[in-house]
Order: sequence, then structure tokens, then C-alpha cells
Amino acid sequence: MARVKLEHVTKRYEDVTAVDDMNLDIRDGEFVCLVGPSGCGKSTTMETIAGLTLPTEGEVWIGDREVTRLPPKDRGVAMVFQNIALFPHMNVKDNISFGLRLRKYDSEEIDRRVERASDIVQLEGMLERMPDEMSGGQRQRVAIARAIVRNPDVFLMDEPLANLDAKLRVHMRTELQRLHKELETTIIYVTHDQAEAMTMSDRIAVIDSGELQQIDPPLVCYNEPANLFVAGFIGSPSMNFTTGDVTESGFTSDSFDIEFDPARMGVSPGDHVTLGVRPEDVYPVDQRESVGHPSMRIDARTDVTEPMGDEIFVYLVTQEDIEMDFEAAEAGQLLMSVSPDSDVDVDQDIQVVLDRAKIHLFDSETGDAIQHGLVNPTSRDSTTEEAEAGSDD
Amino acid sequence: MATESDSKTSDGPLNRWASRSIRNPERTYRAMFYVAAIFFIVTTMFPFYWLIVLALTPNNEILNGIGLVPEGFNVYAFVEVFQQVPFHFYMLNSFILATVTTVIVLFIASFAGYVFGRLEFPGRGVLMLLILAISYFPPAAFVVPLFDIFTGNSPIVVPFTEIALFTPPRLINTPAAMVLPFSALFLPLSIFVLTTFYGQIPDGLEDAARVEGTTRIGALFRVIIPLSAPGVATAGVLTFISVYNEYFFSQIMALGNDYTQWSPLVGGILSYQTQYTTSFNLFAAASIIGVLPVAILVIVAQERIVSGLTAGALKE
Amino acid sequence: MSTDTAADRRRESGSGGALSGVTRWVENLGETAFAYLLLTPVFVILGAIAFYPLLRTLELSMFADPYTDPQFIGLENYVALFDGGLNGFLPGTTTFLPSSLSLTAILRSSLMVTLIFTAVTVLFETVIGLGQALVLDQDFRGRRWVRVAIIIPWAVPIVIQGMIFLLMFQPNIGFATPFLADLGIIEGTNTLNDPWSSLFIVMIADIWKTSAFMALLILAGLQSIDRSLYNVAKVAGASKWQQFKLITFPLVLPTIGVAILFRTVAAMRVYGVIDTTSKCEVVPSLSCMVVANLGINTEVAAVIAFVTAIIIAAVVSVIIYQQYREGF
Repeated sequence: MARVKLEHVTKRYEDVTAVDDMNLDIRDGEFVCLVGPSGCGKSTTMETIAGLTLPTEGEVWIGDREVTRLPPKDRGVAMVFQNIALFPHMNVKDNISFGLRLRKYDSEEIDRRVERASDIVQLEGMLERMPDEMSGGQRQRVAIARAIVRNPDVFLMDEPLANLDAKLRVHMRTELQRLHKELETTIIYVTHDQAEAMTMSDRIAVIDSGELQQIDPPLVCYNEPANLFVAGFIGSPSMNFTTGDVTESGFTSDSFDIEFDPARMGVSPGDHVTLGVRPEDVYPVDQRESVGHPSMRIDARTDVTEPMGDEIFVYLVTQEDIEMDFEAAEAGQLLMSVSPDSDVDVDQDIQVVLDRAKIHLFDSETGDAIQHGLVNPTSRDSTTEEAEAGSDD
Repeated sequence: MATESDSKTSDGPLNRWASRSIRNPERTYRAMFYVAAIFFIVTTMFPFYWLIVLALTPNNEILNGIGLVPEGFNVYAFVEVFQQVPFHFYMLNSFILATVTTVIVLFIASFAGYVFGRLEFPGRGVLMLLILAISYFPPAAFVVPLFDIFTGNSPIVVPFTEIALFTPPRLINTPAAMVLPFSALFLPLSIFVLTTFYGQIPDGLEDAARVEGTTRIGALFRVIIPLSAPGVATAGVLTFISVYNEYFFSQIMALGNDYTQWSPLVGGILSYQTQYTTSFNLFAAASIIGVLPVAILVIVAQERIVSGLTAGALKE
Repeated sequence: MSTDTAADRRRESGSGGALSGVTRWVENLGETAFAYLLLTPVFVILGAIAFYPLLRTLELSMFADPYTDPQFIGLENYVALFDGGLNGFLPGTTTFLPSSLSLTAILRSSLMVTLIFTAVTVLFETVIGLGQALVLDQDFRGRRWVRVAIIIPWAVPIVIQGMIFLLMFQPNIGFATPFLADLGIIEGTNTLNDPWSSLFIVMIADIWKTSAFMALLILAGLQSIDRSLYNVAKVAGASKWQQFKLITFPLVLPTIGVAILFRTVAAMRVYGVIDTTSKCEVVPSLSCMVVANLGINTEVAAVIAFVTAIIIAAVVSVIIYQQYREGF
């Protein structure tokens, strides 16, 4: 039960910087996900907390102790690994009690604790089994029991569900949340799956290229992404981006124009900006009544539809001569999510509107967010300032 | 092979075989294979048969001339072996030297195997090549100064200076004079075998052990070595056999072929040659007894030996 | 679980223990420093038993009378070795280089005998080892036992190997001598004191013992060949011989090359089997010449030892280059 703090942690290998000046302040009892694409430095960040990697610069604090140079065993952390990492030469009980035995607990105490930990993860009656006699889910439970049996200050979980099949993964997610509620221990959880991060955590730390991009509650990251990377990474399918310029009357691009008063939105004519809008904030024109602040109509043609059951993804081409290219989704394309009963067909001419309250503006050069919602700019001051405060210090 | 039954009409067995073979070359290859296999078995095993023939034949019969079958059944030779020369003490010396060397080698090679198999650090490739290179050099290239130092006649001198560091005690005729060279000689093979095995243990297991409460070295002994038990056994068996079989230092560093001065198997066998020049049945009996331990090891641990020799030699 | 926490905190923070200072220091070493720390014992023992003696051998080889009245004479010992000036120190009538090109003179030369021994044994061991490997590569009942039969000679102690061949070729008792003497291959009497006959016997002994080692290396190469290649060849209508010629042999050739280099350096060490079966005066290998002068004429032993090391270093550098190219 402890707060975890990283101060200016940097990890450099010979030619790469894996973690670049990372500052994190994770509160006691909080469930924080470190999320980012593979190779972004999230695992290295976790390893510096565990002590498996020593940072080149900076300090790591757990509770009120500075642990930067402390070996892993003395940090009061427990870890669950992606490949589960049960010791194949030990049975379940010996795996769970490994850390206790190393710390010379007496055997009654060990039995008592193993019993309780295996109760919590529902492993009753399996203590004598060997890891290779168990299913993937059972092994993962053993790994979790091994972590909780020591009453650690902090749980570190490095993609613990990545090797499980999809169904089990969803089940284990809820199990972990239940566990967190029960134990109230700080959990730091690494994943590349933004959906996992969204559903489980109190706060999400989005990391890219070794740098912290944003740390905020999931919905803040979703609704008020700090920059283009976070906007594109959080949410599935990804946000639509269109690059263009600010004019006297708003935003203009090769695909469409959006009207607003630049002065009120913190931009000035001539600025290069990127406009972002999520697929669910794009509407066919016949539903514009349900949109609070619809934009002007945008002419488009439907290209491909992907019915998902609960919604339909519609790929729109907003420029006549453009080739469909999924790699560069921002150039003349727009992804729209509509309800399954919508009447959309491929190769149709269609008019759509954007919900102006949900449009994001980003500085094209720096990628930083300028404005979330083109309706009521005062809202930015109340929520976004707080979000930025969380990510910048 | 399934189509053979329709060819029963030919005349002699040789003709039949020949005509079948022409129609079915598989059969010829099969026959060649059996001939080759039998040839290899006979050539490798025959010398052992010859030892048995000599050991069972009373020595006067041997001196009268002997054919390819034993003339007599003189099991007593296997008792006499121990009466003429305390052969069991020589073998005991060999066992002790081999065991001590194996323990030392496994211990040191475990650290090195861990380093080369699991750590990335500058100089790794060069150091491995250096160890590989040393393992190729002949014992004769090292023996001259070692002999002079172990006899206690010569101090350790910084090469190409006249600075004498110290004169070590006389080590010749002690286990140290053999265990030290053996350890250096057979260390590289074990390092390469263990590097291969330790390198295959997933990183996560070592990390898990460290988070759970071991040091890096603790993780080596509690997790990596137990999980690599087959590899450790391989390295151990190979080292033991190598020491037991060694000739060069075994003969040179135990001067008098005297078992009280730690002379191993080599000295035992050679002392028959020098003391009982014509007791050929005893030569043979002693050789059989001396070969038994390694023969048993080979039968029991053949998989380990095969994998270890190939891993160690064809290290890539 | 809150009752446990106080005790847990103490145990988790790893406080106390007399060794904890050293452990902590070791644990906090960077990867490189930790690696070198763990390698220290290896380099202490290899330094003491290999590197130091090698350098010291070079030094000793450059002195006259290195212990009693040391005088630095540079390469004079090497010159003397090659122009025959040191032949007087070698046992019996042996020389370093052959005194003439007659067969008798060549068999007196320790350098030539070592080279002949190496070339002949490695050649035969390669051929026989390939044959043995091809047999072991097949699937058949009793393969395990055939493999044991083929490996066992490798595991025979050298002294016993020597004894076995002494007993087979001792002219008084050995069955093999009269037979081979009739064919004119070896001398019928005093066989083990005849240079050619003894060299022949020692080579046979080495081939018997070491072919298995060659076989194991080649077998590893054979078993790494992708089996589906044979199915492709069968479908294409290749006979067994064509399969061997077109697939097996070319693919196993690199392994054979490595194995030959490996065996070459090992064959040049030959000593024990000569010492047991025959005598160093009869079959003068380079190692024999070193041992004969050990502790008596140190500078002679040292110069021959170092020349042996140089010859082997030349072969070793080829091996190292190979390994390096394959990306060690």
C-alpha cells in the first residue's frame, strides 16, 4: 500500500533512449495502466519500478523510500509477467510460497497465507499440481496468487493477460478489478491494448517513444486527449484527422470546411491545424436533428461498410479524386459509425455533419491539443487545464 | 519391399537376390546399410572381445601362442589384478580427481555459462572466442613452465622481466598438480554446454525470482541451474569422462606411478607394463576393469554425451 | 491481511544480515561489471594454467640455460631447432626436421611424423565417421545400442586404448601382427620398436578411438537437414545415391569442414597412445619431444612446445575466422 513516484527517470541504452525523462506520481491504492504501442518504453518503465532495470538518471520512490538503487527483492513489489513465468520445477504451492520461503517465514504462516491467496484466486485443491498440468487461465491465477501472498506494497503487471485467449482475457479483466477492490493495493499495469486500459484503470498513462504523453482518467484521455498521439491511440476505431488551415471564418481543408470564430478557439487565421473527430461524432445528414451542434453539410461518397452488429462503420471519401487508402486515413477520408438500422449502401453519394461539440483542434506542428469542442470554449478552461496539470509536472 | 513375393520363380538364391535387387534398389540399400552397420559394430567392439580373450586365457597359454578364442576360463585374473598392484587405489585416485575437477568445473562454468548465455555486455564475443581458442591448444604448450613450477624448483616470474613473484609449494605428486590443469583444460567445453542451456531459460523466470526475493546469483542457483539440470548433467558427465581418460598431465604430474602419490588409472595400468612385462592376461584384465566405469556411463548417459559433444564442438 | 503488514515490511525491505553489504554491492553492479565479476574465476584459472604458461614458454624458449645461468639469446634456439642443432637433445636418433628425404629419415623427424599422423588419421576418421553417421542417421530397431557400440571407443581412457593395441600387435601374442606382416605392411618381429610399424599401429589406434567423435559431429549436421528436402527429391525421382550426392553431402559439407579443423588440432597433440603402445624414440611426435626434455633441457622443451603452439595457432585462427564469419 504505497504511492509510487518516478522523478525524471531516463533509461538510455547504447544507442536508444528507452525511457525519456519520465515523471509519474501514482497514488496509494490506485490502478494505473501504462499503455502505448510496442517498443514505446512502457515495459522498461515498469522494470525500473521493479528494479529489474536500473535507470540511467532519475529517482524511483515507493512509499516514503527512495528505491532507485535497491535490488528488486527489497522493494516490496510483486510482479505478474506476460509469459506467466511460473517455475516449471515447482508445484503450485511451492510457486506461490517461493517468496515467503526466501524470506524465511515459518511453515505454518506459509500454509496460512498460501491457503488464503489460493482462496482469493479460486485455486482450491490444485496446490499439488505442476504448472504444466494446468490451463493457461489456471497458471495465470497461480502467478497472481504468488504476487498477492507476500502482501506487497505495489503490484506490477506486465501484460498479464496477453497470452490468454480472448474470452478468458475478458473474464480475467473483471477478476483483476475485483481483486483490486478487495486488496486496495496500488496496481501498475502495462498493456498495449487501449481497451484493456480503458476498462480497468483509475488513470491511464499513455506513453510513446519513451515519453509520457498524458496521464488522466480513461474518459478524460478519451474526451480531451492531450495531443495527436493520444487522440489517435485511445479509442477504437481511431479518431479521424484532417489537416488544414485556420481562416477568418473557421477551418478549411481539401475535404471540408468547419465554421467557428478563430479568436474564441485560441487560434488565429493562417495557423496550420489538424482537426480531429471520432467516428461516432459523424452523422448522416438525416440524423442532424439529434445532434446538438451540427456542422455544415459535407459532401461525401460511401466506399466500404463494415457491419459490426451493434454499429456499422462506414468509410467515406470526401474528395472526388482520392484513392482509398487505409494507411493515410486523414487524406480525404472519414470514418463514420452509425447505428445498425441506418440505411447506408456502398458507392452512394451522401451528406454528413460533424458534432461541433466533439471536434478537436490540434497544432499540426507540435501535435498538441488546442481546443476540445468548438461550441463552448469556456469548458476547456475547467477540465483541460486539470488534465494538462496532471501530465506536465 | 511389398512386391518381392512375385519373384520366387528364379533359380539359385543368388540369382533371385540379384534380380530382386535390380528391380527394387531399396533392397540393395537396405543390404548395404546392414553390412555397414555390422562392419562398424565389429570393428569398434572387437578390441574389447580381444581383451576378454586374453584376460580369460592363463598367461602361459598366451605366451604359447593364442588364437581368436579364449583357451581356458581363468576368472582368477580379475582377482590377481588387485593383488599384484593395488589397482583399486589407482582407480579411487582417478575417481577422486575426476569428481573434484567436475565440481570445480561445474561451479566456475555455471557462472560463465550464465554470463555468456544471459547477459549482454561489451567484449562478450571476444571473450568467448578467447576461451574457444585456449581449448584448442595442446597441453604440451602449457606444460613446460607448469612442470617447473609444480616441482617447486622455479618461482612464478612475470614473463619477460626478472621479477620473481613467489615460489609456490611443491605441488607435484599432489591432487592439485592434476586438478588445476584438468580444470583449465576441460572448462571451455562445460562453459559452452552450459551457455547453450542457461541461455534457453526464459527471461521472465529469472525476473520473477528476483522480484520474489532472490538476488541475481540467487536466481541462478534457485531457478536457472535446477531448470537446466540436463545441461548440468551433460557438462558433468563429459568432464568426468574427460578427466578419467586424460593421459598427459595424469602421467607427468604423478612422477612415480605410485598410488600413494595420487597416481591415477594411467599409473596403475603403466605399472603393470613396467613391473610385470609379460603378464598379458593381467594387462587385459586391468584394462577391462578400467574401462567398465566409463562404459557404464556411456550406456546410461549416451543422449547427454551426444548432445553435449555436438553442442560444445559445433558452437555457433 | 492488515495484521501481517508490520512483519512483512521488515522482511520485504531486506534489512539486516551481515552479508547484505556485499550482496547489495554485487546486486547493484551494472550488467557489464556483473558479467566480468562472474567471469573472474574463469580468467584466474585460465590465466594461471594457460595464458601465463604460454607466455612463459615463449620467454623460456629465448634463453640458454634459463634456470642455472640464464642468457637471453633471442631466436637462436629456434634457429638451432630448424638447422638440427638441437637434435642431440631429442631422444634416441630422432630429429626435428628430416635429415634427408628418405622414408627412414622422415620417420625420424618429429615434425613430419606429427604431420603424417595428423593427415592420415583425420582423413580416415572423416571417411569412417561419415559412414558411421550415415548409419546412425537411419531409423532402425536397436539404434540405441548401435550408437553405444560406436561411441564407446571415444570414452576409452587413452592408457587403455594404448594397452589394447599393444596387446593386439605385440608380436609374441597379438593375432594381428603375423597377418599384417605376411601382407608386408608391418614388421613381423620387434614390431613395436620399428618406426613405420609403430606409427601404423598408433594411427590405427587413433582412428579406432576417434572416428566416433567425428561421427557425432557429422550426425549433428545430418540431423539438421530439413527432411522435407528428401520428399521433394523423391517426388522428382532422385535415387538414394542421387539424394546423397545432391542433398545430403553438400548440406553436411560445412559441418565436415568444421569437424576436420577441430580434429586436426586435436590430432597434433598425440602423445599418450604412443607412450603406452610404443615409445617416443620410435614414434617421435612433437608432444613426445616436449615431454622428453621436461625438467631437463627446459629451453629445448619450451622451443618445441612453442613451435607446436604456433602451428596449432595457425589452424585455430582459421577456425576462429570461420566462427567469426558465422557470427559468434
